[in-house]
Amino acid sequence: MFKYVIKRILIFIPTLLVVSLLTFALSSIAPGDPVEQMLSSQTGEGTSANLQANEQAYIEKRRELGLDLPIFYFSFGQMAIPDTLHRIPKRAHRDNLSRLINQHGNWDEISDYYYEIKDFEKDVYNIPKDSLNATPLINMKDAIKSLYANYDKEDIEKQLSDIPKFIGGAPSMGKLQSSFDQLKSKHTAMVTNTSSWKNWVPSFKFYGTENRYHNWFFGDKPWFGKDDGNWRSAGFVRGDFGISYKDQRPVSTVLWEAIRWTFGINIIAIIITYLVAIPLGIFSARNKGSISDQIITTILFLLYALPSFWIGTLMIIYLCGGDYLDWFPPFFRPDLSGGLLNDIKELSYYLFLPMICWVYGSFAFLSRQMRGGMLTVLGQDYIRTARAKGLAEGKITWKHALRNSLLPIITLFANVFPRAIGGSIIIEILFSIPGMGKVGYEAVVARNYPIVFAVMMFASILTLVGYLVADILYGVVDPRISFSSKK
Amino acid sequence: MSGTKHNAGDHIDASREEVNEMNQSYWAYVKRQFRKNKRALFSLYFVMFLAFIAVFADFIANEKPIVAKYKGTTYFPVIKQYGVSLGLTKWPKELQNVKWQNLEYDYAIFPPIPYLPKNTDMANAQFTGPFDEQRVKSKRWWHWLGTDDLGRDVLAGMIHATRIAFAVGLISMGIATLIGIFLGTLAGYLGDTGLRISRVRFWLNIFFFFIALFYAFGARSYILSDAISNSIISFVGQLLISFLIFFGILGAVNLLASVLKRIPFLGQKVNVPVDLAVSRLIEVIVSIPGLFLIIAIVAVAKPSLILVMVVIGVTGWTGIARLIRAELLKVRNLEYVEAAQAMGFSDIRIMLRHAIPNALSPVLIAVAFGIAGAILTEAFLSFLGLGVPAEVVTWGSLLNLSRSAPAAWWLAIFPGFAIFLTVTFFNLIGEGLTDALDPRLRK
Repeated sequence: MFKYVIKRILIFIPTLLVVSLLTFALSSIAPGDPVEQMLSSQTGEGTSANLQANEQAYIEKRRELGLDLPIFYFSFGQMAIPDTLHRIPKRAHRDNLSRLINQHGNWDEISDYYYEIKDFEKDVYNIPKDSLNATPLINMKDAIKSLYANYDKEDIEKQLSDIPKFIGGAPSMGKLQSSFDQLKSKHTAMVTNTSSWKNWVPSFKFYGTENRYHNWFFGDKPWFGKDDGNWRSAGFVRGDFGISYKDQRPVSTVLWEAIRWTFGINIIAIIITYLVAIPLGIFSARNKGSISDQIITTILFLLYALPSFWIGTLMIIYLCGGDYLDWFPPFFRPDLSGGLLNDIKELSYYLFLPMICWVYGSFAFLSRQMRGGMLTVLGQDYIRTARAKGLAEGKITWKHALRNSLLPIITLFANVFPRAIGGSIIIEILFSIPGMGKVGYEAVVARNYPIVFAVMMFASILTLVGYLVADILYGVVDPRISFSSKK
Repeated sequence: MSGTKHNAGDHIDASREEVNEMNQSYWAYVKRQFRKNKRALFSLYFVMFLAFIAVFADFIANEKPIVAKYKGTTYFPVIKQYGVSLGLTKWPKELQNVKWQNLEYDYAIFPPIPYLPKNTDMANAQFTGPFDEQRVKSKRWWHWLGTDDLGRDVLAGMIHATRIAFAVGLISMGIATLIGIFLGTLAGYLGDTGLRISRVRFWLNIFFFFIALFYAFGARSYILSDAISNSIISFVGQLLISFLIFFGILGAVNLLASVLKRIPFLGQKVNVPVDLAVSRLIEVIVSIPGLFLIIAIVAVAKPSLILVMVVIGVTGWTGIARLIRAELLKVRNLEYVEAAQAMGFSDIRIMLRHAIPNALSPVLIAVAFGIAGAILTEAFLSFLGLGVPAEVVTWGSLLNLSRSAPAAWWLAIFPGFAIFLTVTFFNLIGEGLTDALDPRLRK
């Protein structure tokens, strides 16, 4: 048994690694730029100083979030893609550059072209505004923006042919001519000196432990030796989950607040489910085939198929204020400050509907298992013996049959639990209960990756522990199951 | 001598017929058993009815007439639209960008619901209910299930949403079934000792798997992503090319391996523990919180129906793989598989022709329940406003509208009922199949 548990826990490690890789891959493939999102408030006047300040702030923030590192230990891809592409700060620029690489394959020329656009942009922003150049300046800035974002050959050429018009648009713009000529020559070099064959040669690049995944999962804090304080993250495995992008709070704090809700609600829900489903199952088994059995089975089947997000929506619309009945609160804002009794009152007021919505679907599953187990037991010889010796039917059910049919139901607990964690996401979002599901969902929508990682990892850990507990319980309950032999 | 030969042949023919008959009679028996189950049978009819609506949605709810005579020419606009979408024909000038409902036809036969889900009826905007006063030309143009904030017809939306629900349910479960059967069969039939290949083949396959991935998908990633935004047909075409490249490279490598394995060192056999690998993979996937993963993928990517189907399918195959694996572990030690092996049939033939068909019945049940689950998942995703593009109307998105308009009860009731009924009836079919296929109930 002990050996079995150790073996199972060892299997946790590859599973969690896979989950971590999956979540991480998701965040790196996903479009959007978290740094841009966090800095979106900062947009200054269009002066050169501001341009530089903004860029500096961007690079600082990016470094702070650890996004300036390569994504993983190694990369396997086109030879044309340089191993320094991740150093280009802006996500949008990086995407466009990799498109250009995909077309031309000559990184040296492409990077020259890119930095030439930057120089040109600086020159444009250095031109002081006057009464004559307002329109051409704005047009020029737009043209530069679209140069950053365009990889299509004709689009770029169109922008490049438009720019001379803007330069001629006002006398003060004249000094841009020389740097524009340079930009044009760099562009010509990029389109003529192509080496697109490099896109069809695979190459393997190794980056070492200085990468984002390593920093997030294992951390760059030294494991041994003295701590010089020059590290960004202690890593997930050492309990450092990072900082939430949204409100800059530690993820562990956010998560702890959420897990308490999810855990508490699920425990209560599971207890309710058992309290209702077991008697129902026993009743159905004892009256097998009767009309009441059929009615119970049908109703439970219908409840099982009723989508909880529909029922939840109906409840919120018709029972929670609004235009119809005003029996329950529309928002989840329990006031948990006035002692235990008050807390219970508040919670039962706020959690009543979510609970109903949460548990009704699982009645069918559990009571069906109970009914089946009970029927099997009631058909056994020793029950017939008990009947033969004249025991009362109630005593047979409650004393002899129940015990033996209850055990498999109890082991189901561990199976129900992980499923509950995954499923409570619906209820939490619907009734805005600040649990793990809602926090995770909001984090996904807002691209708040540190929270997404943590929620994914914890949900997987809970699932794994649930299955392990289920297996152990099976072994404890049914001594016939042995974990030592292979088959 | 020839006589006895003839007799022996007769005997074999007869026994083959008998086998055929038994084979047929098993499925005939299942059919009979399923028919006895009134609830399941009714569910099947209902699902067929829904499938009919899904297939012919364009003829049931459409802004265009089915047949119409306009300015002296007779048109079949609904059918013609298919040709136009495929680029085969073009609309004549006078019918380009017109409001179909308002044209002056010589005569026109409109579909039962003369609206498309996207048609906005400004006269009946701001949530007009089915029993409210509707400003329509005649009862023919009535919004039977009301409208939404922009005056879009809810019934038309629900009819076209049937198509999406079915597409998601069938395609995602199709993907899941293919993956599940493929991996489950490999694991169950080959086990941990069934696959012994030469050393050179083993290493070449591992190495060139990545190379093939690179050429098929890595180097072509922009071609593929451009094709997605272009059109579904071009995406499918490009995807096919990618798969051709992938399997072409692997096929060539395996040919090479067949030659190289003659060299004694390279030809030494290694054991590939297929069952172990597949079982571990299943274990990993099962412990990933599925719904959350789906939400995460769908929320960060561009909204697309294909993605929703693929994601549901790729995360949902483990149950089927487990069933097939367990079934084949049983089957592969049965006499008929041994007999097939003794007759020298190849592993692939035994798997495809003999082992899988016998293991298929539990999969059928899992698929029925799986479709219900996939429809439910998609409905929940679009209820959250994820996955499906904003302009596409689904049951879930209609239900979502009701959250911001509590007074529009028809938006809360009808789409919910559609989801509930569809899911229930697929579940009932699953139950009926369980009963019909359960050999314990056989007399």
